[in-house]
Amino acid sequence: MKVVERETVETNKQTTRSLTLVQAVTDALGTMLAEDDRVILLGEDIGKNGGVFRATEGLQAQYGEDRVVDTPLSEAGIIGSSVGLAVNGMIPIPEIQFLGFIYPAFEQIATHVTRVRMRTMSNYTVPMVIRAPYGAGVRAPEIHSDSAEAFFTHMPGIKVVCPSTPTDAKGLLIAAIKDPDPVLFMEPMRLYRAFREDVPEGVYEVEIGKGKKVAEGDDVTVIAWGAMVPVARDAAEKAKAKGITCDVIDMRTLFPLDKDIIAESVQKTGRVVVVHEAHETSGVGNDIISLINKTSFLYMKAPVEKVTGFDVPVPFFALEDHFLPTPKRVEEAIEKVYRF
Amino acid sequence: MLEVKLHDIGEGMTEAEVLHYFVKPGDSVVADQALVEVQTDKMVAELPSPATGTVKELLIKTGTTVQVGTTILLIEAEGAVNVPAQTEGPVAEAAVTVEEKTEEAPIATATKPKGPLRILAAPYTRKIARENDVDIEQVTGTGPAGRVTVEDVYRFMEGGQTPAVESTPIPAAQPAAAATAEATVETPKVPADVIPFKGIRKQIAKKMSHSLTTIPHVTHFEEIDMTNLMALRKELKEEGISISAVAFFIKALVVALKDFPVFNAKLDEENEVILLEKEYHVGLAVDSTLGLIVPVLKNAHQKTLLQIHSEMKELNEKARQGTLSGNEMRGGTITISNVGPLGSIAATPIINHPETAIIAFHKTKKCAVVTDDDEIIIRSMMNISMSFDHRVADGATAVAFTNRFAELIENPKKLWLELM
Repeated sequence: MKVVERETVETNKQTTRSLTLVQAVTDALGTMLAEDDRVILLGEDIGKNGGVFRATEGLQAQYGEDRVVDTPLSEAGIIGSSVGLAVNGMIPIPEIQFLGFIYPAFEQIATHVTRVRMRTMSNYTVPMVIRAPYGAGVRAPEIHSDSAEAFFTHMPGIKVVCPSTPTDAKGLLIAAIKDPDPVLFMEPMRLYRAFREDVPEGVYEVEIGKGKKVAEGDDVTVIAWGAMVPVARDAAEKAKAKGITCDVIDMRTLFPLDKDIIAESVQKTGRVVVVHEAHETSGVGNDIISLINKTSFLYMKAPVEKVTGFDVPVPFFALEDHFLPTPKRVEEAIEKVYRF
Repeated sequence: MLEVKLHDIGEGMTEAEVLHYFVKPGDSVVADQALVEVQTDKMVAELPSPATGTVKELLIKTGTTVQVGTTILLIEAEGAVNVPAQTEGPVAEAAVTVEEKTEEAPIATATKPKGPLRILAAPYTRKIARENDVDIEQVTGTGPAGRVTVEDVYRFMEGGQTPAVESTPIPAAQPAAAATAEATVETPKVPADVIPFKGIRKQIAKKMSHSLTTIPHVTHFEEIDMTNLMALRKELKEEGISISAVAFFIKALVVALKDFPVFNAKLDEENEVILLEKEYHVGLAVDSTLGLIVPVLKNAHQKTLLQIHSEMKELNEKARQGTLSGNEMRGGTITISNVGPLGSIAATPIINHPETAIIAFHKTKKCAVVTDDDEIIIRSMMNISMSFDHRVADGATAVAFTNRFAELIENPKKLWLELM
C-alpha cells in the first residue's frame, strides 16, 4: 500500500491537514466508512488498485472487501446494484471511472435512481452518491474528458454537485453521503492534484445547493464551477489590472442552483459572464441566464456572455486546450460585457 | 361610424405627426377628399377620406406624433364604404384603413396606448428611468447606435438633454457675496428652448451616426480655378441660356467617375464585393426648412446640361416644399453638396451611406494666384471637399479623381470633348 502524503497543521483550534482535492475525497470516504457502517463503495478497480485516480487508495485494506467492492466492468451493473443496496438500507457510493463512461448506466439512473422515491411515494429513497471524475485538461483519451452535467441537471430526482477545492470536496461529499436522495458527485480531475489546501479533520458538511463567492468586485459577475473556477479567478485578476473588478461565484451545486447568490451579485453588477467547459448548446449556463432573466432582468446593463466548450466532442489531447475556455477568452468576455 | 387610422404610408414608417386638418367636426366630406395632413420622417402626406359622410370628431391634436394604427378621426358614412382608390401622386401612398364600428362601442382606440417605440436601452437603464419617472422615449441616447445610457437618463433628469452641456461656471469675482450665505442670490436658471428631436431631424441624426460609425471617412480638399467656367456661363447667359455651375459639376463628375468608377460604388460587406455602379444617380443635398434632404437626380449620364439644370431646379423646389416622393429620394450612387452660395471654404461632409463618396462645393471667390511664370494674377477660385470610404478607395486614387474633375472644370473645352 502506498502511503498518502499527509501533513497535520493546527489552525483556529481545528485540526486540519494539507490535502489535494483527490486526497480530500479519499479523506471524506474514509471518514464516512468509519462513521457509518451502511456506507459501501463499489467500482472498477477501486479496491486493491485504489481506483484509477487513487481516490480509494488504502480503503479496502482498512475496511475490507465487503465495504470496498471491486466490481465487474459494467456501469449499468454498478448503478443497478447500488439501487438495490440503497433501497435495502445501505448507503452505496459507486464510482464511475470517468463521467464519460456513465452512459451505459444512464438507463439505471434515469429510470430507477431518480424515480424510486416518487414511484414509492417516499416509502423508499435512494441514498447513494455516484462519484465520477469529469472534464478535460488532463490529456485523456476519447470520452474520458466529457463534461456531461447537463444530462443530469435535466433529470428531476438527482442532485448534481461539483466542487472546486479540497475543503469543499470533502464537505460536499459528506453532505452528499448524508443526503437521503441520490447525488451525482462530479470531481474535476484537472484539479485533483492542482493544489493543496488545509482541510478540516473529521466530519463536516458543506451545504448542497449553496454557491460561494470566491472573489469580490463591483463591475461584472463571473459564474463558474469545478475546473473552470481557477480559470474564472485568473481572468478576473487580469481584468482587475484594467480597472474592472469582478465577483467570482463558484456554484458548487448545479442542481439545485443557488438562485440567491446569483441574484444578489447580478443585481449589484448588472453584467454577467458564465463559464463552463461543457458544450454551449443546452448547457447549464443557459439555465443560469434564464434564472437571471427571471430574478434580475431590470438590473441588467448588458446581455450575458457565455464562455464554454464548443459544440463538438471534446477533441483529442493535441486540441484539448483549444476546446477549453481559457482565462484570455473569459477576460475578453468580461471586457465585452463591461464595455457594452 | 368609420375610424380613419394612420396607415403605414410606406417604407416601414412607424409614426407620423399630425400637421393639420383640412376639415372640422360637422363638415361634409366626399370620398377621397383630403382630411388631414401628416408628416413622416421622409415626407408630408395627405390622408384621404375613405367614404362620403360627415366628420364626427377629430381625435388627435395637431402637432401630436401618433403610431401607425392610431385612429385620427371619425366619420359617419353615408351609404356604402368606398375602398381606398388607387390614386396617383404622393397621396397614393397614403392609404387609410377603415374599420366599421357599432355606435355603442366606446371610442377606445382614441386613447389607445402608444405602440412600442424603438428606443435602445438596457433593462437597468429602463429601471432607473422608471424609478425616476423619466419617460425614456424622451431621452436622447448617446451610447452606441443611439442607445440611451444611465448617464443620459440622469442628464435628462438634471434638465440637460444633450451631452457636454455644462452649466456656466460661477465667476469667482464676488468674494464678498460668497462670504455670507444669506446674501448669496441664486441666479434664476433661464430655461432652454426645447426643440422636439423627431421627424426629419431625428432621421438625419440616425443616418449620419450610422454613416460615420460604419464608414472610415477620409476628406480630401482641392482648389479649382473657376474663371473659365464662369466666363463660359456668362457668355451663355448673354445668349439667354442660363445654366447653373452645379449642372456643369454634375457633368464633369460623371466623366471623372467613369475614369475612377470606385467612387460611384457600393461596398457590399455581406457578400464581400464592391459594386461599381454603371448608372450615375447624383444625390443633391438640399437645405430645406425641414432640414437636410437629399433628392436624387437619376441617370445624369444620359441627360444634357439643360436637362440636368431644369430637373435639379425642380427637385430643389420639391425638397423645399416637402413634396418629394420616396422614389425621388432613393437610389443615389454619389452625393454632392453645394454649400457655395452659403459661404464656407472647407468641410468634412458625411457620406450618404451606402455610397462611397460625397463632394461639397464651397464658395467661389477671387484670389491672387501665382502662375507658372511666377506672375500674380487674379482668378476665381473654389474649394471642394471630398469625403470617401477608405475601405473602398485610397488617398492616391481620390487625389487623381479630384484632379481629373478639376481639369474638366478649369478647362470647359475638355469637358466638351467628353460630352460629344
